[in-house]
Amino acid sequence: MEASSEPPLDAKSEVTNQLVDFQWKLGMAVSSDTCRSLKYPYVAVMLKVADHSGQVKTKCFEMTIPQFQNFYRQFKEIAAVIETV
Amino acid sequence: MAAGEFEGGKPLNGLLNALAQDTFHGHPGITEELLRSQLYPEVPPEEFRPFLAKMRGILKSIASADMDFNQLEAFLTAQTKKQGGITSDQAAVISKFWKSHKTKIRESLMNQSRWNSGLRGLSWRVDGKSQSRHSAQIHTPVAIIELELGKYGQVYHAHSLPALHLLMLVFLLASDLSHHFKPH
Repeated sequence: MEASSEPPLDAKSEVTNQLVDFQWKLGMAVSSDTCRSLKYPYVAVMLKVADHSGQVKTKCFEMTIPQFQNFYRQFKEIAAVIETV
Repeated sequence: MAAGEFEGGKPLNGLLNALAQDTFHGHPGITEELLRSQLYPEVPPEEFRPFLAKMRGILKSIASADMDFNQLEAFLTAQTKKQGGITSDQAAVISKFWKSHKTKIRESLMNQSRWNSGLRGLSWRVDGKSQSRHSAQIHTPVAIIELELGKYGQVYHAHSLPALHLLMLVFLLASDLSHHFKPH
């Protein structure tokens, strides 16, 4: 491990993937071939994760707004817990 | 067979349920013959077929336009006045069905239009200080997050792809998050 610009690899990185990038967008699906009047807001997320060899993979997924609110709530909980450790 | 000879009431409600399962919720194995024999056994197949097509068309129109109750009433009234349309009994059953199933059908339509994976589950764990065999450094607390990603609708098909498991994302949380996310 040389340059300090590299993301710090943790003991866990031997067996888990590391998050290296997180992008999001808020979209509104208006219409589709199966439903003319869709009106469906969603949050799309793109994650980049690196395994212990440094290989980076991209994962994309979408959430409905209620799902995103639950996602956000969980992360707030994680942040609160990690402060106490 | 005139529209009025098809019973409204329970058989029609059952038919609409089955049509919704087939058209929106992706339930397999719902055939025309199954529906006819279960719900309208006294109706010959060549008469059942156009009736089924008509009901499916009406349901799809209502769902596609995401009709509110005013639009629904206007639409169904127009259908009762048409040649070869529906009876007012049948209109009442359809109206009641849409009102109670609208939300669920809308949700399925949203899922159908989602071509990325959805988030099917999230679990997490926070670890305290840790150390690896190869490093003298003691590492700060980390959050490990498991995201379960998958495409909707695939659970119904035998040859579907399993849900993607994003195992153990290491999510480094420190008091200042931003420097972990800078591209490099």
